[in-house]
Amino acid sequence: MGIQTSDKPLLERVKESEQDKFMQASVAKSQDAQHIKREDSRALLGNWEQWRELGEQIRQRALKYLPDYLEQFSDNVEKNGGDVFFAATEEEAVDYIQKVVKETGAKRIVKSKSMVTTEIDLDKRLLAMNQGLQLMETDLAEFILQEDDWAEPTHIVFPALSKNRDQVREIFMKLGYEGDNDPMHLARFARKYLREYFLKSDLGITGCNFAVADNGMINLVTNEGNADLTMAIPKTQIVVMGMERIVPTMNDAEILDNMLCRSAVGQKLTSYVTFEKGQVAGETDGPEHFHVVIVDNNRSRALGSEFQSILQCIRCGACMNVCPVYRHIGGHGYGSIYPGPLGAVLSPILGGYQAFQELPYASSLCGACTEVCPVKIPLHKLLIEHRRIITDQRHMQHGLNNLMMEAIGIGTGFPWLFRTAVRFGHLGLKPLASKGEVHAENFIKPEGSVKGGPGLVGGWADVRDLPLPPKNKDSFRQWFAKHKENQPKPGDQKANQ
Amino acid sequence: MTIYNREAFLDHLSERLGTPRHQVDKEPFIHRNQLPEETLADLSSDELLDLAKSTSEALHVTFQVTDQTALPAVLDEYLKRIGAGQLILPTEPDQVADYNLQGWIDTVAKERTVKYWDPKADRDTNLTTSQDSMVAIGFGDYLLAESGTITVPTTPGQGRAFNFLPTHYLSIVKRSHILPRSTQVTKIYDDKIKSGELVTSNINYISGPSNSGDIEMVLIVGVHGPLDMTYVVVNDR
Ligand code: SF4
Repeated sequence: MGIQTSDKPLLERVKESEQDKFMQASVAKSQDAQHIKREDSRALLGNWEQWRELGEQIRQRALKYLPDYLEQFSDNVEKNGGDVFFAATEEEAVDYIQKVVKETGAKRIVKSKSMVTTEIDLDKRLLAMNQGLQLMETDLAEFILQEDDWAEPTHIVFPALSKNRDQVREIFMKLGYEGDNDPMHLARFARKYLREYFLKSDLGITGCNFAVADNGMINLVTNEGNADLTMAIPKTQIVVMGMERIVPTMNDAEILDNMLCRSAVGQKLTSYVTFEKGQVAGETDGPEHFHVVIVDNNRSRALGSEFQSILQCIRCGACMNVCPVYRHIGGHGYGSIYPGPLGAVLSPILGGYQAFQELPYASSLCGACTEVCPVKIPLHKLLIEHRRIITDQRHMQHGLNNLMMEAIGIGTGFPWLFRTAVRFGHLGLKPLASKGEVHAENFIKPEGSVKGGPGLVGGWADVRDLPLPPKNKDSFRQWFAKHKENQPKPGDQKANQ
Repeated sequence: MTIYNREAFLDHLSERLGTPRHQVDKEPFIHRNQLPEETLADLSSDELLDLAKSTSEALHVTFQVTDQTALPAVLDEYLKRIGAGQLILPTEPDQVADYNLQGWIDTVAKERTVKYWDPKADRDTNLTTSQDSMVAIGFGDYLLAESGTITVPTTPGQGRAFNFLPTHYLSIVKRSHILPRSTQVTKIYDDKIKSGELVTSNINYISGPSNSGDIEMVLIVGVHGPLDMTYVVVNDR
């Protein structure tokens, strides 16, 4: 699929999303349910702000010494008997994985959920090798999307949120399902169908929530058990990880697991939290051949820039679960596999402004994302940074008038977004805690809005009036200025294949 | 066992960061606070047991506490509830002796098929045996009170798939091995791995049966892993 899921303009995508009433209702229901679970689990843990500070500290440390920790990790994977491939680009990553698949003669691949493999469009590129290869996504949601002709994911934690039970039933009927639309019956069918596939699989591909520098193990956090079967049954495992997934120690991973589980699904820990590496002597299952592919794919553009903190992200999805814009347009509206506030910041970094320049404007800048982020990424400030860079570039190219016309064009295309933003901009911003009822809608109603958001006027139309960032944090801007001319669109690579 | 493309890749990151490589040891990493260690650390043994029970039950786990002498009866009762079908056990003679279970195993073997995760068998045999088993009874290493989690390091006698392929799963764990949180158990494993006392490729922290909310956010218990879980805590002091 690659990072870009659509080449239609933002406005068109939003209009399409607005037609999908089921999607809007599911997103609202999911935001409300997740809000209650998340806030309850954080309250039960206690001292959440101090936990956030610790989470932030661990992630900042990992980024500050990223080369050293990656070096330590790769040394340890090698010591444990594994291979490590450092991939600067998605092509390098895919080439290496294809090479391993060829060399092992693998015919049946099982995959567990991994955003980075979607980012590098791995599934289709492996299937394009055309050597009788079968590949199966085994996470229930990813399986549904794959069987629905590789439909677009709509959320990083709940990718099939836009599919209702009747649609899932129809998709499964093509595979021989004959039952009703009860989610339990549908899931049992998937269990049986995938179990048979699992038992004959010869190569497993997983992502990685965290990679532990000081012992070379990877850490996975899941609920269904498919990732553990992917790591147990096939003889070969390939782990594909974004380079920023690194943490110094097992305990650092475990601290972040606790924060991730609470923030993503309101659980203390998910059903399965696993630390693993390649098989050791005496064991009979688990991978005999263990490969780790460490992917940059433009993440390094953020390093040393004003956007470095986005690499702290632990992919919990909480920011999209509180976002009023995400609530309205759902995941598909963003046109990126990374939707919501995370996606609006990350997609232009990974995929370039040419493809994603509108995304930083798909926000009311209410600040709810920043408040909820477990590792304290200042998401709304990063959106303002993107706007500033885009504004500066446009200003130089077309003059201010064009820019203002364009901003107004975006605004009149999103009357609901303007209304939301105006409410945030003009009305009192009370802390969330002051609201009695716990409901994600509170983030949208002015009386329940979160504190600290800069509002419309501060961030949208008058973006140029905001204070400039410190000079030493300007390297992304410099990078952009230097590279904008010859920057390829993310879709280009696929077109070239 | 090869590392590919490392130097150019890391040099590029270092250049982006604007700092030279190999600096990490110069700045010791001290956590800003000790909340992971301190949270729930003051619970008594009885409080830990109570908390473990309530959190486990909230995860749809059947939670039982027993004396060692009554353990065989508890397991008999469990198997009766599960019904007919093959039982798989780990090959862990020390644990079997510890819980004094050999006599019980011999009796059960007369009534139903009992198979083992066999360190001498090959991958396919162990996977097929696990897949064909209606129920697994395994040994948990620790039980975490806060999250209702049992921890299971993979051993030659209790492989990874042992915990995932059978339909029903029971874990036996010592009461003295109830810890407050994942922080304590992770520290234990980290130390043991570093000292060489624990040699394993895999450590599972398992909190209840597998589940999913992927279809319309409806909670489905039992997806790819076992459909249900039972923890039996054995009083050992
Ligand atoms: S940006 Fe923060 S809230 Fe959003 S997914 Fe990442 S860690 Fe979670």
